[in-house]
Amino acid sequence: MKLFGRPWRTTAGAIGLVAGLANTAAADDIVWARYGDIDSLDPHRATSTLSLQVWSLMYDTLLATDADGLPVPHIAKSWQSNAEGTEYTFSLEEGVMCHDGTPLDANDVKYTIDAAFSETTPSVTKGSWGPISGVEVLDPLTVKLTLETPFVALIPFLADSFSSIICDSNAGSDGFGTNSAIGSGPWKLVSWTRGDRIVLEKNADYKNFGKLAENPGAPYEDGLIIAVVPEPQARLAALKTGEVHIAEPPFDDVPMIQDEGDLSIIVAENTGQNVFWEFAVHRPPFNDVRARLAVAHATDAATAISLIYGDLSIPENCPVSRGVFGNDQDFCAQYRPAYDPEKAKELLGELGYSMDNPLETALLVWTGGNRQKLGEVFQAQLAEVGIKASIEIMDIGSLNARVRQENENTEGTTGSMDMMTWSWYDPDILHALWHTPGAYRGYTSPELDAMLAETRVLTDSEARKAKVQEVFKYLLENAIHVPLYTPGWEWVFAVRPEVEGFFVAPFVYPNFSDVKLGG
Amino acid sequence: MWRFLSTRILMGVLTIWITTILVTLLIHAVPGDPVQIMYAQSQGTTPEQIEEVRRSLGLDRPIPVQYAMFMERLVQGDLGNTIRGGQPVLDVIMQRLPNTLVLACAAMFIAVLIGVPIGFLAAYRKGSLTDITLMIIAIAGISMPHFWLGLVLLFFFAVELGWLPVSGNGWLNLVLPALTLGLSNAAIFARLTRSSMIDVMNQDYVQTALAKGLPRALVLRRHVLRAGLLPVVTMMGLQFAFMMGGAIVVENIFSWNGVGRMAVEAIFQRDYPIIQGFILTFSVVVVLVAITIDALYAVLDPRIRRS
Repeated sequence: MKLFGRPWRTTAGAIGLVAGLANTAAADDIVWARYGDIDSLDPHRATSTLSLQVWSLMYDTLLATDADGLPVPHIAKSWQSNAEGTEYTFSLEEGVMCHDGTPLDANDVKYTIDAAFSETTPSVTKGSWGPISGVEVLDPLTVKLTLETPFVALIPFLADSFSSIICDSNAGSDGFGTNSAIGSGPWKLVSWTRGDRIVLEKNADYKNFGKLAENPGAPYEDGLIIAVVPEPQARLAALKTGEVHIAEPPFDDVPMIQDEGDLSIIVAENTGQNVFWEFAVHRPPFNDVRARLAVAHATDAATAISLIYGDLSIPENCPVSRGVFGNDQDFCAQYRPAYDPEKAKELLGELGYSMDNPLETALLVWTGGNRQKLGEVFQAQLAEVGIKASIEIMDIGSLNARVRQENENTEGTTGSMDMMTWSWYDPDILHALWHTPGAYRGYTSPELDAMLAETRVLTDSEARKAKVQEVFKYLLENAIHVPLYTPGWEWVFAVRPEVEGFFVAPFVYPNFSDVKLGG
Repeated sequence: MWRFLSTRILMGVLTIWITTILVTLLIHAVPGDPVQIMYAQSQGTTPEQIEEVRRSLGLDRPIPVQYAMFMERLVQGDLGNTIRGGQPVLDVIMQRLPNTLVLACAAMFIAVLIGVPIGFLAAYRKGSLTDITLMIIAIAGISMPHFWLGLVLLFFFAVELGWLPVSGNGWLNLVLPALTLGLSNAAIFARLTRSSMIDVMNQDYVQTALAKGLPRALVLRRHVLRAGLLPVVTMMGLQFAFMMGGAIVVENIFSWNGVGRMAVEAIFQRDYPIIQGFILTFSVVVVLVAITIDALYAVLDPRIRRS
């Protein structure tokens, strides 16, 4: 054994050396772990929820969202529009400071909107800003937006982090979006190591005018680290060891976490997330409304989500989720096809299908979040009425592409349906999905186009609500967009006991301004 | 020797050149319009913007022109910009490549340090209870999937004992992922070393040395070890490439910020410039390691450099 003496000593030495070096966050830093990273620090360059959540901490928006998801004043203390809805004038709060110490004023708002409509590098959400044709700085604290046509979804858009105000001092920075980002939000950027972590420090000058938080000023804790921990079990382990304070836990472990009681579970409400059935409608069998209705009648969403998510998620009746303008569960329940397997069988019988001759379809499901298990429950429910669904699980990018391909394929007799997921702060999402040509080239009709176009221009709130609900009725009665449940992703948070004051604002924006790390 | 090495280098360059052609074709291998797929989730993206992306990626040109453009940029060290976030791909990769290399090297160190002595001991005690026990452990090690072993180590050392952190990128954070990757590879090295050593021990020159009365330990050290380790050196090269690939799972479990995890994220997000850059970088690293191992092999074995 003399032969191995030296190497073993070397190993012990190496382990000792490694063990001597530590890599930990400061004691007064909040550590929040998520499964993935942001795409960019520039709000014009990405659309993911992961990015939006971080922008909401670093930037301010003209407006904010109240607990019900409605737009309220924030750094714009008030706004007026003309009768036609083609001009909006915003008065800004005094004393809002950018992270570099310069005051945030109307020029910063103009800089942000001009960048969104840049000829060379427009925002990836340029379309959602609406038909803005001009931005005018009336004085340092007043800015006027001119629109080519009315666009009422602009106001809720200005309350969402897609419209984060970028300070014009970013203009001289080469690394804006990757190494630097100057906003005016409660947290300032210290560093971003792509794929690993974002380190933020509190903005001591912060003033909160309208964002949901009890704290009117700077965050209580000094730092916030947003770490990337992709593996759910590793996030749970890090929560248990105290390395991480807040994280999304593995779904299957939520009951155990609740039983143990060491970590608390917080469920976000009014997330704007809607999970629904949609169909390849340009070929049989789902070009016939009876086949689509049969699926809707065969689906018992309440039982399925209870089995998979317990009480973490709830059934949804409307094509936009709770907290979004126009959502009314009672109204939608009148038109959403109710769970009725006998009715489903009857409709399938009219189409010539039976238990011996089932309707065959692909069932496309987005991977993750236990959706594959949910798909299996739905598959069993569909089988009970004579629908043979083959589940295909894929990532969201593939699902989006595949759904469009299925809609463009008009040949064949095998159907395709999918459990689609969308999140938006306004019913204008229905315009993107179902107005010609449609995000996925799915169902469209002149009648629906006309209704959707009106939902964009009706400036009277009640009139718009009525039109939006007309759209709901059309989509539900024709089983074009069959709502299943809400919320659907990244909405469950496990929180360590020393964390006080953590909550999640509407549209899944976690808020850390009120957080205190107790003993 | 130099002829041998120059042949290997030329083959490496050829491999990388073929890879450049394949990565150019990659974007066309996906069914449907790749730009539509990339932007499928971007609410509000206009057709003009999609056309601009198609133009900036050169996808509106014939494939040979696309290849020429790709090579022109490549020789200037430009792998393009990421679709999501618009950052230079080379910067994104170079930020993470050292992490993966450190992990693979640490895992290789562990694998060789544990695997070779165990294999040697098993060969030395061939047929004994020690040999059988060590080989059962080795088979168990080979059979253990990385994600399972990783989670077991994580819960034992990080959660139960609290000795090591769960995730991150410090030196202390390296221990568990390197152990996970290293232990299963140690089992492979143990089995290979054992069979190689047994083979050498049965050679006539070893038997002659022993018959002449040389001490057994001296025979093993001077005559068996060097010859028996030659296949192990070859295996190190192959396993290094395997570890770079296997690191994808381990990096995910331990949040190790390497290129493997980056590639998986890019695949899910359809960020083709990153995927192309990753494949190209990966092939360059594997080729460089292969050439190094070949050179080492030639140094260790005179028959190779003379051939």
